[in-house]
Amino acid sequence: MKKRYEIMIYLFVIGMIIVGGLLGVYFIGKEEGEYNFELALAVIVGSVGGFVIFSLYSTWRKKRNGNVPEVDERSLLLIKRYLLIVLYFILIGSGAILLVLYAIGIQTIEVGMLIVYMMILYMLIGIGAVVVKRL
Amino acid sequence: MRVINHIKEIRQKRGITQVKMAEDLQITRQTINAIEKNKYNPSLELALKLIAYFDVPIEEIFYLEEEVTRRNKHEKTL
Repeated sequence: MKKRYEIMIYLFVIGMIIVGGLLGVYFIGKEEGEYNFELALAVIVGSVGGFVIFSLYSTWRKKRNGNVPEVDERSLLLIKRYLLIVLYFILIGSGAILLVLYAIGIQTIEVGMLIVYMMILYMLIGIGAVVVKRL
Repeated sequence: MRVINHIKEIRQKRGITQVKMAEDLQITRQTINAIEKNKYNPSLELALKLIAYFDVPIEEIFYLEEEVTRRNKHEKTL
């Protein structure tokens, strides 16, 4: 039963990544008037390839370390503490950035820049969580 | 008051590796290391699991630091 849930979650995540990518391809196509199917292929191959690499790595890890779980009560506690600290950094940091930008005379922010900013934040938080988990 | 434990001594006495223990208790090796170094106090659930795993009374594994210093003082006076 547990294995079934695991497979369903993986399928859902990969499915959503592919749907997101294809949506992106659709929006680009709509804007430019030409749909790029090579990009769609790259989205599908990239997502499935990434999953294959991940499953190969986890199989190798299982062989090397035995049946040891990835997370336990201590790593969850560490991640909780980390996220609590990160929350304050992001709230205060983002506020500070906004104040600085306003002070130097910038009155509007392009949505694209906000997307990039959020992407960088997600990446940094993700990398930090991985590091904290391994402590 | 710090909680200290004798898990490392008991584990080594029985010839159990950290990896084997991690597998049996379904926790990470890092957690075992942190508990053995008294850097992390396990949850009540994990503490009970540890007691059942080693099949020893709780006071043989976990101590309060104050208890140990009191015991040492008592031994010195004798």
